[in-house]
Amino acid sequence: MPEHRVGTQEEWQAERDELLKEEKELTHRGDEVTKKRQALPWVPVEKDYSFETVDGTKSLADLFDERGQLMIYHFMFGPDWTGGCPVCSSIADTFAPQAPHMNARDTTLIFSSRGPVDKLEAYRQRMGWGIPWVSAETDFHRDIGFFYTEEELKPFLESGKIPPTVTQNAEMCGTTEAGYVAEGPGLSVYALDDGTVYRTYVTTARGLEGPSMAYYQLLDRTPAGRNEPPDEPLWVRRHDEY
Amino acid sequence: MTDHRTATQEEWQAERDELLAEEKEHTRRADELAEKRRALPWVPIEKEYELETADGTRSLADLFDGRSQLLIYHFMFGPSYEAGCPTCSSMVDGVDGLLPHLHARDVTMALVSRAPLEKLLAFRERLGWSVPWASSANSDFNFDFGASFHEEEMRAGMPPEDQLPPIAARNAKETGTDLVSYISEMFGATAFKLEDGVVYKTYATTGRGVEFLMGYYWILDRMSKGRDEDGAFQTWIRRHDEYGQEETA
Repeated sequence: MPEHRVGTQEEWQAERDELLKEEKELTHRGDEVTKKRQALPWVPVEKDYSFETVDGTKSLADLFDERGQLMIYHFMFGPDWTGGCPVCSSIADTFAPQAPHMNARDTTLIFSSRGPVDKLEAYRQRMGWGIPWVSAETDFHRDIGFFYTEEELKPFLESGKIPPTVTQNAEMCGTTEAGYVAEGPGLSVYALDDGTVYRTYVTTARGLEGPSMAYYQLLDRTPAGRNEPPDEPLWVRRHDEY
Repeated sequence: MTDHRTATQEEWQAERDELLAEEKEHTRRADELAEKRRALPWVPIEKEYELETADGTRSLADLFDGRSQLLIYHFMFGPSYEAGCPTCSSMVDGVDGLLPHLHARDVTMALVSRAPLEKLLAFRERLGWSVPWASSANSDFNFDFGASFHEEEMRAGMPPEDQLPPIAARNAKETGTDLVSYISEMFGATAFKLEDGVVYKTYATTGRGVEFLMGYYWILDRMSKGRDEDGAFQTWIRRHDEYGQEETA
């Protein structure tokens, strides 16, 4: 017999029906939060950022690729790294298959990193992602808080409290702990209206879980859950490295 | 200029910080519900099911494929369908590339449908998926787990056609079957655990409960236009190789 509590179908159903009420409430609460996101003001992006792509140098407006909405995932891949961040890679695994569905909803999905475009392209091909990946100037990531200077990171790096995941992932990316945490993961979202680009939404940290870490949504419905002890390095690997 | 309200970065940040507090609260509430799901009792599955797979006839325990957790998506593909449900197909698109990550967490994902196996495997090849897909054509599996209904019962119990959402008639057409046959199949997800040779059902969901498999909604919920479905939910969804084709008359 398992250590877990066992019930009959009827007992399970009664408890599941109670939980369903709470799940529905959470879904409806999610709908409300979405409405609030859409009610945020739009910020015109006045700086002229330029991006290196496999098709040459492009502006932020060009990246919309003739659609009205743009979502950019700020993928941690620094200029000197030998490979992309494994967690960002699992995020890309979530995004890549959504591209055809997003395009049908007037939305372009792309990745942006500070690494050079030839490195990004080689890694993209290795991982088999069908999403454009641009190399951005540092300011583009820096201006929305997805790139940190050494000075900003000093207290963290000298704290003696670097999580094992940082050490592990830095090594997997061929960089140092300082080099790894200089890059920040995040999503930035834009609308193109009447020739002007507006930033409409930005998120990072656990705000990434919903839109970009679909495996967590699945694990949250399994008996063992995420099962991530905080003192152990994260289990996530690149999909071809398990 | 846009018709939408505009602001400076500082004004935006102040409103965004307010919203962030609500987003965090929502995330933590979701964590609590995940814990409550795991606290549900496990139901031993005592009935034997014979499921047809690419490797021959298999039991439910076999579908775990050496892992201890199994997540089954009940994919709407009935015996009379000519092709799989487009909405179910869009969900599999999002999951198929995540299988290595799920396997690393001791989770096997599989699809089960009532159509004959050869139809399922041909459709899987067309869409380029690798997820295992079993046919329950020769068992009660779908009926027992609420994933199929007998057509005569459906016909007697279904609401008038004009009260069904528009997606029902559309997907009936797209799957090459009639409305009653289309809605006699039901979508849903069921989680199982295998312990000491016994299979337990741990969790099951349907309705909006399957949005956890609809990654495009999680993205659209962060875009300015949102889902933009105007009451006719999911009618924009196509199989990924069918976007841009003219609607068939």
